[in-house]
Amino acid sequence: MQKKWLWILLLASPLLAGAQDAQIPPDIQKLSARAKETVEVTMDGPMLRWASKFLSADDPDEERAAKLVANLTGIYVRSFEFDKEGAYTSAEVDELRSQFHSPGWSRVVGVRSAAEGDNVDIFFKLENDKMAGIVIIAAEPKELTFVNIVGPLELDQLADLGGEFGVPKLDRKTLKHAEKAEKGEQK
Amino acid sequence: MKSLRIVLLILSVSTLAAAGDNEFRGVVHAIEGHYSIHHSHVPLLGFAMWFARPAGISGVKLAMFENFRAHTDSEDVSRLVENSLGPDWHPFVRVRTRNNGKDQDDSNNAETTLIYVSPAGGKLRMMIVNVESSEATVVEVKLSDRSIKGWLKEPGEKAQDHHRSQTSD
Repeated sequence: MQKKWLWILLLASPLLAGAQDAQIPPDIQKLSARAKETVEVTMDGPMLRWASKFLSADDPDEERAAKLVANLTGIYVRSFEFDKEGAYTSAEVDELRSQFHSPGWSRVVGVRSAAEGDNVDIFFKLENDKMAGIVIIAAEPKELTFVNIVGPLELDQLADLGGEFGVPKLDRKTLKHAEKAEKGEQK
Repeated sequence: MKSLRIVLLILSVSTLAAAGDNEFRGVVHAIEGHYSIHHSHVPLLGFAMWFARPAGISGVKLAMFENFRAHTDSEDVSRLVENSLGPDWHPFVRVRTRNNGKDQDDSNNAETTLIYVSPAGGKLRMMIVNVESSEATVVEVKLSDRSIKGWLKEPGEKAQDHHRSQTSD
């Protein structure tokens, strides 16, 4: 009987571990061992709610940012910088992307720059036809950034959030792609 | 008269530091207990901070650990710090740098900065734990409004700046 419980615990442990840190795919953490520098930003719900109250209503930019983050559950950024190109493989990035090819998620942007080797993918999570989260995967030859914004957020707000709270700024081209895709989804 | 004022100033700052928060002492004791080391006393730290306090911070508490030779892993240190901090503290930023030219799997060659925050009202307390192969520091500070806004805007960049200033010494 004791052995049975031991087996159940052993089998369930990866699931429990995944549930604890569901905002960050476990595979991405492996890249940290190969990266020259790893930066992890974690802003959970209580911290974001506090930040939204702290930011001033007198400053239009701060007021906009405060409204944005007040309803979010979390912002999680993982950024890896490598010594040389090829430190991570395209298969590893594909594997990461594949985790968001599941029900409830849709990829709205996939920008590929053959010249510079920069690739950006944006995935939306929809719940009851409303945006419930955004994942951004930005892969450059010597850098990989993963962003998970959990909570209700509109696409135009993503542009406002760029450069704030550790969320990288997205270029206009990428945002235009996303806007077009979003309109397509709504039709 | 001037020397009396200086003595009073040192005593008042030392008293404030001694009456510091339990969390700071908890983290320091946790590191001391886990790695069997003692933090070094920094003579006249309070006095020095009075004159050379970085802009936008106050209530500095600092503990330094030298000859820190234990096998350290950033995950271990994170767990240790998180277990000693209360539920009011949140993980905020973690920066990990691998030393160039060294074995990438050897965690002794990594330098880690862990930053936890405790927001309350209009105040933000920050606990910064920096661990290198031979030394570690624990710093607690209170941030001014302007500093808080800077950290909220660019937490990664601010933490990288702090991490580089610690690791380039």
